[in-house]
Amino acid sequence: MLGFDYARPEKFDDVIALLLEAGPEALMLAGGTDLVVALRHHVARPRLVIDLKRVEGFRAEIREEDGSLVVPAGTTMTEIVRDRRIQALFAALVEAANVVGSIQIRNRATLAGNICNASPAADTVPLLALYGASVEIAGTSGTRLSSVEDFVRGNRDTDLGEGEVVTAVRLPLPRQKTASTFERITRRRGVDLATVNLGCLLQADGTVRYALGAVAPRPLLVEGGGDPETLFDVATPITDVRAGADYRRAMLNVIAERALARARSAL
Amino acid sequence: MSGEIAIDLMVNGTEHRIAVPPNLSLLDCLRDKVGLTGSKECCAVGECGACTVEMDGQLVNSCLCLAVEADGKAVTTAEAEDEDLGSVRDAFLQTGSVQCGFCIPGMVMAARAILRDEKADDAVAVREGLSGNLCRCGGYNRMFEAMARVSARQARAEAPTGPVVGTDVERSGGRARADGSQKFLADLTIDNVAHLKLVTLPVAHARIDGIDASAAWKVPGVLDIVTAVDLPQPLMHFGPVYKDRPVLAAAETRHHGEPVAVIAAETKEAAEEAALLVEVSYTALPAVTDIEAATAPEAPLVQPPELRPNDPRSGTNILNERVTEWGDLDAPGADVVVEGIYGFPMVTHFAIEPHGFIVDARSDRMTVWSPVQHPYLLQRMMADLFELPLTSVQVLAPDPGGGFGGKQNPKFEPLVALISRRIGRPCRLVLTLEETFQNVRRTATRMKMRTGFTKDGDLVFQDAEADYLVGAYGDISERVMAKGSYLGAGPYRTPNARIRARAILSHTTPATAFRGFGTPQMSWAYEGQMDKAARALGIDGLAIRMRNLARKGDEVVPGDFGADGHWEQSLQKAADLLGWQTPLPEGHGRGIAVAIKAGATTGLSNATVRLLADGSVVVYAGTSDMGQGARTIFAQLAADAFGAPMDRVTVVSGDTSAVPFDLQTSASRSTVFMGNAISKACEDLHRQLAEMAAELSGLELEQISVTNGIIHLPEAPVPIMDFVCAELRSWGGELVGTGRMRRHSLKDHPLGGTPAFFEFNCTAFEVSVDEGTGEILIHRHVTVGDVGKALNPLQVEMQDEGAAIMGLGHSMMEHLVLGENGEIRNLGALDYRIPTTKDMPLSLVTGIVENGDGPGPYGAKGVSEGAILCTAPALAAAVAQATGVVIDDLPLTPERVWRAVQTRDR
Repeated sequence: MLGFDYARPEKFDDVIALLLEAGPEALMLAGGTDLVVALRHHVARPRLVIDLKRVEGFRAEIREEDGSLVVPAGTTMTEIVRDRRIQALFAALVEAANVVGSIQIRNRATLAGNICNASPAADTVPLLALYGASVEIAGTSGTRLSSVEDFVRGNRDTDLGEGEVVTAVRLPLPRQKTASTFERITRRRGVDLATVNLGCLLQADGTVRYALGAVAPRPLLVEGGGDPETLFDVATPITDVRAGADYRRAMLNVIAERALARARSAL
Repeated sequence: MSGEIAIDLMVNGTEHRIAVPPNLSLLDCLRDKVGLTGSKECCAVGECGACTVEMDGQLVNSCLCLAVEADGKAVTTAEAEDEDLGSVRDAFLQTGSVQCGFCIPGMVMAARAILRDEKADDAVAVREGLSGNLCRCGGYNRMFEAMARVSARQARAEAPTGPVVGTDVERSGGRARADGSQKFLADLTIDNVAHLKLVTLPVAHARIDGIDASAAWKVPGVLDIVTAVDLPQPLMHFGPVYKDRPVLAAAETRHHGEPVAVIAAETKEAAEEAALLVEVSYTALPAVTDIEAATAPEAPLVQPPELRPNDPRSGTNILNERVTEWGDLDAPGADVVVEGIYGFPMVTHFAIEPHGFIVDARSDRMTVWSPVQHPYLLQRMMADLFELPLTSVQVLAPDPGGGFGGKQNPKFEPLVALISRRIGRPCRLVLTLEETFQNVRRTATRMKMRTGFTKDGDLVFQDAEADYLVGAYGDISERVMAKGSYLGAGPYRTPNARIRARAILSHTTPATAFRGFGTPQMSWAYEGQMDKAARALGIDGLAIRMRNLARKGDEVVPGDFGADGHWEQSLQKAADLLGWQTPLPEGHGRGIAVAIKAGATTGLSNATVRLLADGSVVVYAGTSDMGQGARTIFAQLAADAFGAPMDRVTVVSGDTSAVPFDLQTSASRSTVFMGNAISKACEDLHRQLAEMAAELSGLELEQISVTNGIIHLPEAPVPIMDFVCAELRSWGGELVGTGRMRRHSLKDHPLGGTPAFFEFNCTAFEVSVDEGTGEILIHRHVTVGDVGKALNPLQVEMQDEGAAIMGLGHSMMEHLVLGENGEIRNLGALDYRIPTTKDMPLSLVTGIVENGDGPGPYGAKGVSEGAILCTAPALAAAVAQATGVVIDDLPLTPERVWRAVQTRDR
C-alpha cells in the first residue's frame, strides 16, 4: 500500500469538514473490505483515509423509526444476518448478506459500504432497491434521503456529493405481508462474486417485483407478471471473465422462477 | 507520506504500544512489528484467509485491516495459548489436517470460531465456517473429521508404542505448523536486508522502447533501480533444460509479468512505490497465446533463433517433438473408431505460499534462501552462473508452503543474487500471489485422438496428436510433454499406437512441472476416448476398462517396464466403493477412469544417519518437505530400524552445506528414493552395531545379527536402544551410517530411464446436474491408489484426498483467462477460483491397494500424484451419463455444462 494520511473523526460534522477540505483526494473507510483491496491494487490512491468506525452513531443499534428500520452505516453484514427484524421482514436481504464473502469479510463489510462501493455485482444492493430502501446522507446543508435505486447511478458511481457521507440505510417496513427471496449464480459454491443475482419480492396481493444484479451497470427493478420471454429484456449483461452475456441473461429466467417459487411457499 | 501513529494493541493477552504508518496492514503489523509471523500473507485481498485473526471477538482478515484501525483492540492469533485453540490443534494433527501448513494458522482460527459458536458438530456450519480459508494441499476432508472430533471433545490419543511403519503417526513438524511457529521463507529475519520489487508491463509481448526511472529514484529509501542494461553483459540466461530465460527482459518481454526492471529499497513500501513510478515506454506486439496461433505459418517467433542454437526447430515455435509408436496403425480389426479433440486449459499451482527468494551474494560466496523443491539443482545452477565452487554456494531451503511442482526450478534467485552483489546487502523478493501466477502454470493441451476398438471393446489402436502449449521459456515443460505423452495410450494393453507430441512455445507464463506432470492432460483425452467407445459399443465404463487394463507384468509400452501392480484390484475397489452396481438414482450419473504416471526414472538420493549415545537418531535427508510429509516417513523408517521412539528421531533437511545431495523432490520419488537411501544408511548402522557388539562381547561377527530394533546375540536378543544407551558413550560416542539409492540413466530410453514405479489411480464419481444452471453436484467421489505399502496410511489418505481436490479444481473451475494482448485477466484470488470447503463433494472416499510390490522400503511406491491423474475424465463421464452430453473441454464450469445442455436440447 502506498502512503496516505489517516483521520479518525468522532462526529459526522468532522467527517464532512475533512471531506470538504481534502476533496476527491479523501476516501472513507468503513469495513475496508473493498477499500483496502483497492489500496493494495493502487486503484485507489487517496491522500487521506477517513476512518468512520468511531464516529458517533456510525455503529449504533439497528432501530425502528417513522415506519422504517434504520440501519446505521457501520452495521456489518454479520449484524444484518443476525437481526431478527430483518430476518422476519427482509428475508432476502439476510440471504444476500449471508453470501457476501466469507465470515471474515462479513464481520467487517458494511451494508452502507456495499452500496457506496457501487459494484454492479453487489449482492445486497438490488434487494435494497427492491425494498424501496433509502440512504440517509449528511452534508453541509443537513441531511437528505436518496433512494438506493437512484443513489447507485452506475458502475462505481453514486449520487454522493462533495462533502457528503452516508449515515444510515432506511428500510421502509412493509405495509402488507410479503415474502422475499434471493438467488444468485456463481462459479463455485464457496465464496464468490455473483455472476448474476436476483431478488424477488412477492406481496400478499400477488404482485411480484424483481431486482436484478450484475446484468447492468446498476441494479434493475422489474415488475413481474409480464411475458417471461421479454420480462428481463431491460438487462444489458456483458461478457467478462466471469461469464458470457447470454449465460447471464438465460440465468435470469432460471433463478427468477426459483426465487418466485420459494417466495410463494414462504408467503 | 504521513507520520507514524502510536496505537495500543493487545495481542494474545500482551499489551503493545506500537508506532505504525497508516498504510501498514494489521497483518504486517503483527508480523513485522509484534514479531508474530504465524499469520500469513497469500492473496492479500481477503479471499484466502491465511491471515485470519480474531479482533475483539470477531474473525477478520488481517490483510484487509489497517493497523491503525486496531488501536485499542484485542487481537488473538494462531500463536495464542488458549484451550479451544489447543483442542483444534490436537484434532487437526490427529486427523491429518496439516500438510504444508501455510494455511493452517488462519484455518485453526476459523476452526476455533466454529468451536466457540458451538457449531463444530454441524457439518453445514463447518463447511461454511472454513470456507473463507483456502487449503491447496486439500486438507478439507480431514478438517471436517477434525471438527467432528473437537465437538465430541475426544481426548488426545496416546502415541502408539511399538513399530511405527504402517501406522498413522503424527506428522513431524505438524505442531509447529498448527501453532504458527513454523518459519516459512517470508517469516525469516535477515539483518540489513533490502526489499526488491519487480517492474512489469500489462501486456505479454512488447518491445521496450525506453525506461525512465527518474521519478522512482526520488522515493526515499530507494537503493537501486536496475534494468537489463545495468547488469553484466552478456545478460545472464538460465533454465533447467535450455538457458533461454533472461534474468530481466532486455529489448522485449515475452509473457505477461516478465520483469523489465527491479527496485531495491529499504522497505517493501518504498520498493512498491518506486516500482509504480518507473515509466516504461513500450510497443505492444502481437502475442501468440494458443496452439493455433503459435503454429500458424506466419506466427511471430516467441524466441529468437539464436536462443536455441543448433536446434533445427529454432525457426519455429516448436520447442521439441516426440513420437512414441509401436505396432501398426493400419492393422485391421477395428470395428469402431472414435475420435475427439480434448482441451485442457492453463491452470496455475496456487500454492498458498507465494514464491519468495532471499540471497546474500558476496564476490566469493553466496547464501540463497529459497523454498525450492530442488535445493541441490539450485545450488549447482547458481554455482555455474556465478562461477563459484559448489562449496561457496549455500542453499537454505525452508519448507515450502506448498509446491506441487511450481517450486521445482529456480525462478528469481539469479536476479536477486545480482542485485545483492550490486548493493552489497542481502536482498529479499517475496512475490504477490498475482506475480506468482505470472511465473508458474501447468501446460495447456490440445489432444486429437483416434482410437479403434473391436466390437467387443478390445483396444486395437490409439492414434494421438498431443500438443502441449508451453510458455515463453522452456523451463521443464519439454520433459512434461515427453513424460506425459510417452504413456499416452494409458494403462492399457494397446496393440498398436502412435503418439505424436509437441511442446509449443507461446507468449504466456512459462509452464513448468505441476502435480501429474503432463498426465492429467493426457488421461483427459484417452479416458474420454474410452468412454466414447463404451457408449458407442453399449459397454459399461467399468467393463471396457477392466477388459483392456494391463495385468501385472503386461507392458503398456512394448519393450519397456511392465505393469507393476494388480491394477484391476484398484479398479474394482473404486467401483465397489462407489456402488457401481447399485441402482442409479433418477437423474444421477456415474463415471470411472484410470490413469498411470511414470514415477521417477533416474537420479541419486543420499542419506546420512547418526546414532547418538543416548539413542537419539538424526537423519540427514535433502528432500524438501512441502506438505507431502516426507520428513515423517523418513523418521518412521529410522525409528523402526533402531526401535527408537519417534520423538527421539530428528530429520534435518534444507541446507546444502550440511545435508548430502539429493537430486530433487519431484515425481513422488522421495519415499522410494530417499526412503531406500535412509533404510540403507540404517542397515549400514546395523552392521556397525554388530561390529561393536562383537568387539564388546568377544563374539565372532558371524554370531551376531541385527534386525529392526534388535541386536541378536547368541544368549538373548538385546534392544538396540538399550545397547546403545549402555555402551555407545564409552565406546566412542556416535555411529554414522550412510546409504544411497541411485538409478542410472539409459541412453537409448526415450525418458532417459525406465520408471522406478508407476503411480496407478482409479477415480469414480456419482453426480447430479442442475440442468437449469449447469451446476454439478458431486454425491460421491472415490479415489483408489495402488500404493505398494502404506508406510503411514493417514498420510497416504492426505495426499490422495489433496490430489483429488486439486483435480476437482481443474475439472470444475480453474482456468487462466487471457486477454487480447496475452495478459492474464483473472490474476489473483478474486477471479481465479480453486475449491473451498463448500465445493467439496458430499462424500469423498479414498481407498488403497497394498500388495507390497513397490521398489521402496517395505514394498512402497510413490503416492503423491495419483488422485489428480484422472479426476476430470471420471467426472465428465458421470456428467455425460447424467445429462447425455459429452464435453471435451475443461473446466466443466456451470456455464460450460449449461451450454452443452442447450446444444443437446436444440
